[in-house]
Amino acid sequence: MISGIEIFDIALLLVVLVITSWYVAEYIVRVFERRSSRLDKIFNPIENLIYKVSGVDTNHGMGWKEYAFAALLINIVQMALAAFIFMNQAILPLNPQHFSDLSWHLTFMQVISFATNTNLQHYAGEATLSYLSQMSAVQFLQFTSAGTGVCVAIAMVRGFKKGSKDLGNFYVDFVRSLTRVLIPLCFIAAVFMLAAGVPQTLSGYTTVTTVQGATQTVLAGPVASLVSIMQIGTNGGGYYGANSAYPLENPTALTDVAQIFLMLLLPTALCFVFGKMIGKEKESRPIFIGAYLLFAIDLAIAFIPNPINEGPGIETRFGGFMSTFWTVVTTAVTTGSVNSSLYGMHPFAIIAAFMGMFIQATPGGKGVGLMYMIMYVILTVFIVGLMSGRTPEYLGMKITGRDVKLVMVAFLVHPLIIIIPTLVAYASGAAAAIGVTGDANGFTQVLYEFTSAAANNGSDFLGTTANTPFWNVATGIVMFLGRYAPIIILLALAGAMIDRKRIEGTAAALKTESFTFSLVLVASIIVLVVLTFFPFLALGPILGFFQGHINFFGP
Amino acid sequence: MQSTIQNKEESMPGEKPVGLLRLLSSKVIADSIKRLSPVSLLSNPVMFIVEITFYIVAAEAIFPQAFGPLASSSQRVFYVEVAIILLLTVWFATLSDALAETQTRMTANSLRRIETDVPTRKIVTGETGERTVSTVKSSELRKGDVLSLQKNDLIPIDADVLEGIAMVDESLLTGESTPVRKAPGDQLIGGSKMISDTLVARVSVNPEETYISQMIKLVESAKRPKTPNEQAVTIVLIGLTAIFTIIIAGLVGLSVTLGLGGDLSVLIALYVCLLPTTIGALLPAIGLSGISRLYANKIIAKSGRAIETAGDTDTILLDKTGTITVGNRQAIEFIPFNGYSEKDVGEAAFLASWHDDTLEGRSVIRLSYERGFVPREINMLDLSQVYEFSATTRTSGVKLQSGTDFMLPKVSDSTSRGRVRFRRKFSDEPTAEENSIQEHMLIPHGVPSGEIEIIKGAPDSIRKIVTKVPDSFDKEIASIAQAGDTAIAIERNGDLLGVIRLKDILKPDIKQKIEDLKLMGIRPVMITGDHPLTAKSIANEVGIDEYVPQAKPEDKYGIVLREQGQSRIVAMIGDGTNDAPALAVADVGLAMNSGTQAAKEAANMVDMESNPAKVIDVVLLGKQLLMTRGAVTTFSIANDVAKYFAIVPVLFATALPVLVKLNILQLGLHSAVLSALIFNAIIIPFLIPLAMRGVSFKPSDTMTLFLRNTLIYGLGGVITPFVGIKLIDLLLSGVFHI
Repeated sequence: MISGIEIFDIALLLVVLVITSWYVAEYIVRVFERRSSRLDKIFNPIENLIYKVSGVDTNHGMGWKEYAFAALLINIVQMALAAFIFMNQAILPLNPQHFSDLSWHLTFMQVISFATNTNLQHYAGEATLSYLSQMSAVQFLQFTSAGTGVCVAIAMVRGFKKGSKDLGNFYVDFVRSLTRVLIPLCFIAAVFMLAAGVPQTLSGYTTVTTVQGATQTVLAGPVASLVSIMQIGTNGGGYYGANSAYPLENPTALTDVAQIFLMLLLPTALCFVFGKMIGKEKESRPIFIGAYLLFAIDLAIAFIPNPINEGPGIETRFGGFMSTFWTVVTTAVTTGSVNSSLYGMHPFAIIAAFMGMFIQATPGGKGVGLMYMIMYVILTVFIVGLMSGRTPEYLGMKITGRDVKLVMVAFLVHPLIIIIPTLVAYASGAAAAIGVTGDANGFTQVLYEFTSAAANNGSDFLGTTANTPFWNVATGIVMFLGRYAPIIILLALAGAMIDRKRIEGTAAALKTESFTFSLVLVASIIVLVVLTFFPFLALGPILGFFQGHINFFGP
Repeated sequence: MQSTIQNKEESMPGEKPVGLLRLLSSKVIADSIKRLSPVSLLSNPVMFIVEITFYIVAAEAIFPQAFGPLASSSQRVFYVEVAIILLLTVWFATLSDALAETQTRMTANSLRRIETDVPTRKIVTGETGERTVSTVKSSELRKGDVLSLQKNDLIPIDADVLEGIAMVDESLLTGESTPVRKAPGDQLIGGSKMISDTLVARVSVNPEETYISQMIKLVESAKRPKTPNEQAVTIVLIGLTAIFTIIIAGLVGLSVTLGLGGDLSVLIALYVCLLPTTIGALLPAIGLSGISRLYANKIIAKSGRAIETAGDTDTILLDKTGTITVGNRQAIEFIPFNGYSEKDVGEAAFLASWHDDTLEGRSVIRLSYERGFVPREINMLDLSQVYEFSATTRTSGVKLQSGTDFMLPKVSDSTSRGRVRFRRKFSDEPTAEENSIQEHMLIPHGVPSGEIEIIKGAPDSIRKIVTKVPDSFDKEIASIAQAGDTAIAIERNGDLLGVIRLKDILKPDIKQKIEDLKLMGIRPVMITGDHPLTAKSIANEVGIDEYVPQAKPEDKYGIVLREQGQSRIVAMIGDGTNDAPALAVADVGLAMNSGTQAAKEAANMVDMESNPAKVIDVVLLGKQLLMTRGAVTTFSIANDVAKYFAIVPVLFATALPVLVKLNILQLGLHSAVLSALIFNAIIIPFLIPLAMRGVSFKPSDTMTLFLRNTLIYGLGGVITPFVGIKLIDLLLSGVFHI
C-alpha cells in the first residue's frame, strides 16, 4: 500500500528537482552560449591549453555532418583507448586484486556500452575490473559519453534557434561540457556521497572479522566518484555488479534519494535548456510536460499491483516502494542503475520500465532524451497539427517532406534493433544456450536485454550470464546503432533547420506551448511508440502477469 | 467589366460538387476494378502492401500445407474469408479514387467544353489581302490564328476580338446568366457560346495553355503531381508501414521459433489492421476533391499546391471595391451651397448623371427622381454634349444647348469614348488621345447664353473651375469623408451648386467574414484608392485594423513584398495588368477572369465569376483540405488502439490461451479477427463522403479548431472502432454464427 508519506516524498523530491534543474539549465545555456562568467578565470586557462594542444579552432562553426563526424570520431577513439586498457589490465598498474584481461567480445561490448552511455554490464565490476579499468576506462567513458550526449543535444537545439549559422563546434562543446558541467557537478555530488558514507579509496580490499567472528572482504574502492558520474551522466554502470543495491555504493535512504535526484537532474534541466536556448521559454513546456506526464503514467502502471512487491530481489533496506520507484526512474532517464534486482519486480513495474525505454524521452537519457522529444513533437505537429488547417510548422518553420523522412527513419531504428536481435537470439539458440526459456519470464528477459541496449539504458536481467560471444557482440551492435543512428539522423534534421524561413508572430499557427498540445503529444507517443510494442509486451510481462507471476524468479 | 463584379451574387463555399450517389455508375465501378492491378497501385504503397497480403492469404487458402506451422488446412474457409475482406479493402480504396476522379471531372465538365474538338472556321489572309475561310479542328489552332465566329458557334479557345460586336453566353464558365457584349479589344473565353452576330477574333493562347487544359491535368489523379504536403504524409505512411512490417515479421518469426502456433492469416490481419489503410485509401481522393470543391466554386487552380498554400495564409489583401463594399457607391443626399436649394443640386445632378450608366450614376438619377427633382431641361438631353469621366481632371459633365445649335461638332464618338473608358481603368497617365479630348473639355468661363454646362467631380477639381467657394465647403467635405462617404461636387456654368453625398454600401456578410478571418489568425489588409479618412471609416466599420488608402494597383506589389519579408504567406486578388507583378509574387494570387491576360497568367488561380470576395473562400477551402487530410490520418492511426485489443488476445490463442484475458471486448476467436478486418475495410467507404466533402468547420481560432478536431477524429478515432468492432462481432456471431 502506498502511503501518503511516500507520495509526499516523491512530490517533494520532484519540486526540489524542478527548481534545481531550472537553475542548472540556466547555467548550461550560459556555458554553451559561451557567455562570460566569473568562472572563466578558473576554466579558461585549462580549456585554452586543451584547445592549443589539440589544435582546435574555437571559432570554427560546424555543419551537421562535421559535427556528427567529430562526435563519432571522438567516441571511437575513446572506445579504442578503453579497449586497450580492458584487454591489458593484468599488466597495467593499479591492479592490486590481480584481475586478468577481459575477453575480446566482452571488451567489444563493454567499451561500446560505456561509450554509448548504456553501461550494460556483462560482468561484476568488483570481481573483474582493476582500479585502473574502473577509473580510467569506465569513469572516463562515463564522463565523455555523458558529455557527448549533452553536446549533440545542444547542437540540435542550436539548429532550431533563430539566427544560428551552424550547429557549433563539437570540440569546444565537448571540452566545456566536461570542464564546466560534468566535472564540477560530479565533484559536488562525490563530496556529498563521501559524507553520506560511500567509500573512495585506492587501498585495495580489506578483510575484516565480523561481530559473529566470520571473515568478510570489504570491497572498497573509488566508489563515490563513480557513483556520482554514473547517476549524473545517466550512465548507470555501477562499481559493483549489484550496482546501487550494494550497501557500499548506496548505503542509506539519503544516498538512495540523492541518487534518484542526480539521475533526474540533467535530463530535466535539458528540457528547460531547449526553451532558454531558442529564446522561447514557453516552448520547453511540451517537452517538460510531455516527459513528466509520461513519467507519471509509468509510475501509475508500476504501482498498479497492490501490495507492492517485497521479498526476494527487493532490497530490504529501501523496501518495495523505493525499489519500484527507482526502477521506473532509472528507465525513464535510461540510466540503468539498479538498487534492487529486476527479478524481484512485479510484471507491471517491468512494463513501466519498458515504457521508459521504448519512449526514451521521459525525460530520457541525457541529451538524447531531449532529441527524441523534439522528434516526437515534430511528428505530432505533423500528423495531428494538420487538423488545425495549416501545413504543419514548428517554431514557425514549415516541416518539409525531408524532415518527415528523417524523423521516420530515426523512428524506425528502435523497433528494428530490438525485434530483430530478440528473434535472432531465440532462432539461433543463443537464448537457450544461457538457460533463458521462451516462456513469459524468459521472453521478458531477452526483450529487456535488447530494449535496454537499444535505449542505451543498461539495466538488465541477464548480467554476467550473458557474457558469451553472441550476447556481447549482439548487444554491442545494438547499443552502437541505438546510440549513433538517431544522433546522426537528428543532427541532420537540426542541420536542415538552419536558415529555414520562419513565420513568426502569426496568430494562425498551432500553439505548441499550450497544454492541449502537450496532452496530444503524450497521446500520440503512447499510440505511435508504446502500442507498437504491445504484442511483444503481451508475450512477456503481460503474459507473465496473467499466468500469475508476481516476479521473475523461476520460469 | 466592373459591372460583372457588381451584379454578381456572392457564391459561398457551400456550392456542392456533384453528389456521390449520382456518381456511382457501372463505369466508375469498372474503373475501380481496373485499378486493382498491382501496377496501378504502385503509387499507393499502403494499398499495394494490402494487395500483396491478399495474394499471400489466398495462397494460404489454396495450399495451406506449404505454410508449415503457420497455417492449417482445417482453416481454409477462414482464409478465404480473410482474403475476401483484404481484397475488399483494396477495392474500397480504388473505388474512392475512381469516385473522386469522376466527381472532379463532372464538376469540371461545364468548364471544359473546350476539350471536345469542334470544327472551327479559320481565316487565312492571302498575300494580296483576300481572305479565305477554311474549317479546321479546334485542337489544331495555334496562338495568332484568326477565327470567324458566327451565331450559335461554340468559341473553341481563348481569343481577342478584332472585328464586330456580338453577344456571348459565358454562363457555363462564369455562372453569369446574362449574355455579355463583346466588342473589339474584349477577350473571349474558350467554351463560351455566340448568341448573336458575327465576330472576327485572334486566338490568344495555344490549346495546351488554356486554364481549362491545365486544370484537366489536375483531374487525372495518376498524372497529378503530389503536393508537398501529400508527399510528406505519404512518407509518414510509408514509415508506419515499415515499422509495422518489422513488428509483424518479428511476430511471425517468434511464432515459429517459440512454437506459439500463430496463424499467418491472423498475423496478416493484425498487420493490415495496423497499417494506416484508411488514410492510405483516401489520401488521393482528399486531394482531388479539394480541387473539385474549388471548381464547384468556379475557381480554377493551376496547381493543387496553391490550394494548400491558401490554407496557410497569414495576410490577406482585400480590395475594398468588390470585396468589402458592393463596388459602387450610392447617392444618399444633396447638400446645397451658395444659397442654392437642394432641388437645384438635385436637378443639376440629374442632368450631369444622365449619360453616366454606371450604378453610381444611376443611383444619382434614382435619388433625384425619388425626391421629385426632375429638371425641365430633360428634353434637351438628346442634344447634349457629354464630357466623359477623365481620370486626370476627375470630372465628368454635360453641356446642353437650345435647339438650333445642334449641329455643333461632337467631341467624341462612341468608339473613342469606349476606348478612353477602357484605358482609364488601367492607367493613370492620360494618353495623347485622351488629352486631346480633355482640351475640348476645358470650358472657358462665360458660356454663351442658352447653354448650360454642368460639371461634377472630385471636390478638389471642381473648386479649381468655380468662381466662388464658400467657407463651409472644406469643412463639409471633410465631415463627409470622416463618415466614410464620398463627396462629389457639382457646378453649373462656373457656379458651385453643392455636393452629392455618396455612400459605400458594404457587402451583406462581409463583417462576419472579416471576423472569421481574424478569428483564424489571418490579418486582413484593405487596399483602396480612397481618401485616408474614408478608408479609415470603412475599415473601422468592418473591423479591419490595417488599411492602405490612396493605393494604386502597383502598390500591392510593395505590400506583398513587405508582408513576405516578415515571412508571412500572402493571399490577394487582382485583375489589371498592374496587378500582375503582385499576383506573381503573392503566395496565393487569385485573378479575376474579367481581368487582363497578364493578370491571369501571373496568378495561380482564376475565378471564372470574377468575384473578388471569393479569395476568402479560397482560404477556407485550403484550410478545409488540410484539415480533412489531418483528420483522416489521425483517425486512421487512432483506430489502431482498438485493433490491438481485438486481435492480440487471439493471436496465439492455441498456445497461450491465457492471453484471452486481454480480450476486453469479449470477441469470439475467429470473429475477433474478422470483425477487426471488416471494420478496417468498411470504414473506408464510410469515410468517402467525409473525404470528398471535407470536414465541416466553423471558422474559429487555430487552437479551437485543433482541439475540436483532435477530440472528434483523435479521441473519436480511439473509441469508434471499439464500438464498431463489437457491433460487427455481434452481427457475425448472432447472424452468421462465426
